[in-house]
Amino acid sequence: MYKVIRLALREYYAAVRTKGFIIGLIMLPVFMSGSIIAMALLKDHVDIRERHIVVVDEAGQFSEMLQEAASIRNTQHIFDEEDSSQVKPVYHIEFVEVDTANIFVQLGALSDRVREGEIHAILHIGSSIVHPGEDPSNAFVNYHAESAALDDIRGWLRDPINNHLRRLRLEYAGIDEADIPDLFHWSWVTAKGLLEVDDDGNVTDAGASNEIRAIAVPLVMMMLMFMMSMMGAMPQLSAVMEEKTQRIVEVILGSITPFQFMLGKILGGLAVALTSTFVYLGGGTAFMQWRGFEAYIPYDILPWFIVNLVILLFMLGALMTSLGSVANDAKDAQSLSFPAMFPMMIPMFIMMPVLKEPLSTFATVMSLIPPFTPMVMTLRMASPVTIPAWQPWAGLAGVIIFTLFVVWGGARIFRAAILMQGVPLKFSNIMRWMTKG
Amino acid sequence: MNALTLNNITKTFNDFTAVDMLSLDVPEGSIYGFIGPNGSGKTTTIRMIMNILHPDTGDIQILGSPRASIDNDLVGYLPEERGLYKKMKIRELLQFYGQLKTGHSVLTDVDFWLDKLDLTEWASKKVEALSKGMSQKVQFIATVVSHPKLVILDEPFSGLDPVNTDVLLQAMLELQKNGSTVIFSTHDMATAEKVCDYVFMIHKGKKVLDGTLHEIQDKYGSDTLRIRCENKTSGLDRIAGVDKVHDFGQSQELRISPGSDPQDILKKLMEDNTVLSFELMKPSLHDIFVRIAGAEEVDHV
Repeated sequence: MYKVIRLALREYYAAVRTKGFIIGLIMLPVFMSGSIIAMALLKDHVDIRERHIVVVDEAGQFSEMLQEAASIRNTQHIFDEEDSSQVKPVYHIEFVEVDTANIFVQLGALSDRVREGEIHAILHIGSSIVHPGEDPSNAFVNYHAESAALDDIRGWLRDPINNHLRRLRLEYAGIDEADIPDLFHWSWVTAKGLLEVDDDGNVTDAGASNEIRAIAVPLVMMMLMFMMSMMGAMPQLSAVMEEKTQRIVEVILGSITPFQFMLGKILGGLAVALTSTFVYLGGGTAFMQWRGFEAYIPYDILPWFIVNLVILLFMLGALMTSLGSVANDAKDAQSLSFPAMFPMMIPMFIMMPVLKEPLSTFATVMSLIPPFTPMVMTLRMASPVTIPAWQPWAGLAGVIIFTLFVVWGGARIFRAAILMQGVPLKFSNIMRWMTKG
Repeated sequence: MNALTLNNITKTFNDFTAVDMLSLDVPEGSIYGFIGPNGSGKTTTIRMIMNILHPDTGDIQILGSPRASIDNDLVGYLPEERGLYKKMKIRELLQFYGQLKTGHSVLTDVDFWLDKLDLTEWASKKVEALSKGMSQKVQFIATVVSHPKLVILDEPFSGLDPVNTDVLLQAMLELQKNGSTVIFSTHDMATAEKVCDYVFMIHKGKKVLDGTLHEIQDKYGSDTLRIRCENKTSGLDRIAGVDKVHDFGQSQELRISPGSDPQDILKKLMEDNTVLSFELMKPSLHDIFVRIAGAEEVDHV
């Protein structure tokens, strides 16, 4: 065991003593959270150029209301509360006479004006919007712009238009708005967790369930697992390939067995990944505590996270080292790296459906398929729902058995292939080495 | 006791037999030279001795014990291809290789060998900064720094200039003096003649020579004439009793046919030329190697 540890230590020091590791350790979370940081930094730096919106109102009911709403917004809601500087753009609403007979020609001409930058967008309101039942095909509100789906104006228009529609319908029904003072009070559905009942029957109110708990925590754990796999296991493939082609392996095999060599490489990679993990977990926990977000730290999941991460790294390490021993050059290593990443990539692909329905049959089955268990089970456990207690243990047992199989098969491939130079990379060769040694 | 015994070992790769029923006894404390043409089975034999490859049949004993029960820590191995971590510093690298064998620090021995092979000033440099010859010397230190009982060197002199070749030869003799057994493979017949107590030659996977240099040469008898003449030496192969001529420019080696009289050949030479030197000798190892590898006289052996 001494030799395995000595080799693992060499691998560990060779990795962590480099400037690249330190820079990577710092830069990785910066890159990963770069978009969030950029959004935070740039949130006050919006484009405040005036926006001209042309309204084609086939219903003929919205001109005054929209101009009034824009006017209120332009005078009250576009300035910074502290220094009164303008922080949002002014909206100018312009109405055009509707050419009902040639409406598409008119819209086409207006679209050209948008493309030329003369106006920003077109709001096209259908003739039956107030009473959709009369002619549903004309009960629409269309917003045409170069980037309509992401445009803030589209979101702003929703409330004034819908409130006005209700007023119009009240008028039509002969009801005075003043008789119903709370008519336009909107209620929002608040997301909350389940109430806690202790052994004495005392009930504790549920905390608010928000996006951070529901999405960010599982997402961060999943991404951390992915990053650590990329850092601790993936490099083993090319490292073993290089040591094979540079004949370093033959020198090392003069002192230790192929299995010891493989185990040393895996443990070295594991140690590198765990070092980074503890830096990130420690730093993240300290930061969350400092910023008052301690409630979001999933302390109960962390031991499972570490266990699953270690098993994932062991499994991937065995896979990568054995595939590295098969590769003859960088091209082979590149070809092999794609299928070798499946245990990491598949969980990433199914992340959103699993997060949305962590108790679904799909999520349960995927979390019990051994190669995917470490990541998918951690994802489910980090979600706000409570998964059945037996499932993490069953998943753990399955993935341990599978990992032992991968290590066994990987070691047989490794032993057979590590000294072979120039043998073509064929699936049949790999299977033969694994089955026959 | 033998440091190494090979007993009828065979190794095949698919349909190719790399080593065929090979037996060998290497006495403890000796320097044993492995010679043979490229692809003859030297490296495969060495890899089986190192337990990197397993023989299909036969068995190997090291220091009197079966190979499987012997730890590689007793054996130092320098492979044919140099394998050093390029990004490691030389002293750290040698400490690492030594620790893998011994389990403890070998820095004192590392410093001793670095000094002996004139590499002390390179100790804190990275391997990638070394020349091929220096890398070779570092690899040699990595092999011997753990005081192995059996040292196996596969082509240890490749890439070395004559000065460094001599340095390494002296180091090998010192290892022998300290009780180690040294086995090395080489294509340099002159070096093998100089230092080997025993020479073993493998050809197409089979043993074709084994013994001391004198024993081997005795098998061929004194069938070689080395001559030096004042004028041109063309037409030597037409002299009666001369089988083959090796022209080295300044001197020539003539192989005489069995039963021919060297004096007759000398007389014939003196008719056309001024003979400056004339020596009847046993064939050199180089000559024997060429005869066998050239498939000329295998039957003779």
